[in-house]
Amino acid sequence: MAGELASPAAPRVARGSSRGGAALKLLRRRLIQAVPLLLGVVVINFVLIQLAPGSFLELMTAENQVSDPATIALLRKTYGLDDPVWLQLVKYIWALMRLDFGFSYRQNIPVIDAISVHLPATLLLMLSAITLALAVGVAAGVVASVKVRTFWDSLVSILAMFFFAAPSFWLGIMLIVLFSVKLGWLPVGGMMTIGGTSDGLGAVLDILHHLLLPTLALGLFYAATYTRVMRSSMLEVAQLDFVRTARAKGLSRNRVTISHVLRNALLPVVTILGVQMGTVLAGSVVIESVFSWPGVGSLLFDSVSSRNYPVVLGIMVLGSLVVIAANIAVDLIYMWLDPRIEIR
Amino acid sequence: MRRFEFPRFEFVGRFARNRGALVGAILILGVALMALLAPLFFPVDPLRIVGQPELWPGEDPDFPLGTDSLGRDMLSMIVHGARATLLIGLFASAVATVIGVGVGATAGYFGGWIDEIAMRAAELFQTIPNLIFVLTIVVILGSTLGNIVIAIGIVSWTPIARMTRAEFLALRDREFVQACRSMGMGDFRIIMGEILPNALPPVIVLSSLVVAGAILFESAVSFLGLGDPNVASWGRLVGDGRQLIRSSWYICAIPGVAIMITVLCLNLIGDGLNDALNPKLRDR
Repeated sequence: MAGELASPAAPRVARGSSRGGAALKLLRRRLIQAVPLLLGVVVINFVLIQLAPGSFLELMTAENQVSDPATIALLRKTYGLDDPVWLQLVKYIWALMRLDFGFSYRQNIPVIDAISVHLPATLLLMLSAITLALAVGVAAGVVASVKVRTFWDSLVSILAMFFFAAPSFWLGIMLIVLFSVKLGWLPVGGMMTIGGTSDGLGAVLDILHHLLLPTLALGLFYAATYTRVMRSSMLEVAQLDFVRTARAKGLSRNRVTISHVLRNALLPVVTILGVQMGTVLAGSVVIESVFSWPGVGSLLFDSVSSRNYPVVLGIMVLGSLVVIAANIAVDLIYMWLDPRIEIR
Repeated sequence: MRRFEFPRFEFVGRFARNRGALVGAILILGVALMALLAPLFFPVDPLRIVGQPELWPGEDPDFPLGTDSLGRDMLSMIVHGARATLLIGLFASAVATVIGVGVGATAGYFGGWIDEIAMRAAELFQTIPNLIFVLTIVVILGSTLGNIVIAIGIVSWTPIARMTRAEFLALRDREFVQACRSMGMGDFRIIMGEILPNALPPVIVLSSLVVAGAILFESAVSFLGLGDPNVASWGRLVGDGRQLIRSSWYICAIPGVAIMITVLCLNLIGDGLNDALNPKLRDR
């Protein structure tokens, strides 16, 4: 289809051979950039924790009623609390490089184990909320832009405006009131029915059943964001020259909208998705608290209030890692969508 | 020397032509007035028990919005809560704007390695999951209003910095700046007196959106029970009502609606400012 070369979305075939190499190059570059970023996260949080009044050792000894000075001295030595702060930081970073996140005295297990028990639930919630947000946001944005200045456009814009302003935790509670308390259709919280089926399909359905409301509560805000961005981006792209060219060639309006406008209009949505990844993770922590979802949220609250700093630091570092990984994925999607982008 | 000239009348006209923005501005004025005059309308401490617990809205004419689980007047709490919510939003946005403009202006004006460092820092703060960072700061430094404001400011400055930087990059080599340089004007004076006034309009728009974001942040912090214990902000009211959603869900619903309307209005104002200050988009 020689004619399609006229549009920026089309020349996928022409550059096909070098795409894989470029993707690898991008991946390597992003991984190298991630190192100082993670280091920064560690340093900032380490400094923050140094500002805290009262060490976690005091709390720990108080909790376990340790008063023997020899034991306390031993503990201080084990946790390296007598070292100067910079040495503690260097030791922590050195340990992190060997994937050693320290030890959580509260659960009596390594920090990495404490977090990895909870991380999958959080990731599941994030992923499902983002999927919902993208599907709803892109669809609604396309509808609004195709039917611009009609009833449908206004309806979509008004709904988007409301979900853009509603606090997610409040939306979650209202969803519970409607769908769980009043209608009784969906569970109030948790991830699985206690004592429910544990075989393959039954368990999956059960989890999905529990996942629906938290996904809506977390995802609708982002759906609203993407709707707004998608709508204006579609309208903007539709005015570009290559769209007129495609129409002039005699392609149908639908064909032009789907294969030319949509693909190019997705770029700003993808950009925002990358920027917001940390926000989605943080937002899921709040939603987890509303729905008693067994993710890192509950662990975070417990650890923060009990000054269990190794776990707090670990959650920050792993959370940032998740954000960085998601951003790399977004970059790769961006490259696939727009071959013109030269990766810096 | 070109200065940013504020086209006042034209600006007001353009802003008012956007009906959503006008409604938003009027409603926000109402909320602000409500916050200012709260002690006048409800001189009694809003957290005092004044009636029967769990009265539904409309059930007793003395309490148009009902009472909460302890028998406190919902309307009084909402009106007083507006103070805390608006003040925290404004001050947090101010903190974010000061940091963001400072970092962005320095980065955009000087460029080079300063720019590189500033942009890496912005990236860093975008990578740390923002609300988790706020919660950690608040818990470590203590749940006081000041700490909450600073914490929200610390996680909200990056978009402002990026915007300011972009504006400075576009303006720093223009003739009027070169003229100032050739006159021997110092960097600080050029940044503050010459470029910044021209770079401000889009930054103002963004700051109004940051206020909305800050209100949402604060409400989440208070909802989770980590807010200042002496302040009954709207988020805390939602959190307080959580246990009673089976019998009295209105206790959660009402303060949430208040948050939503306020944030909605701020967003509408932001959109209106954007249209009014961006002549490029004027005819859309």
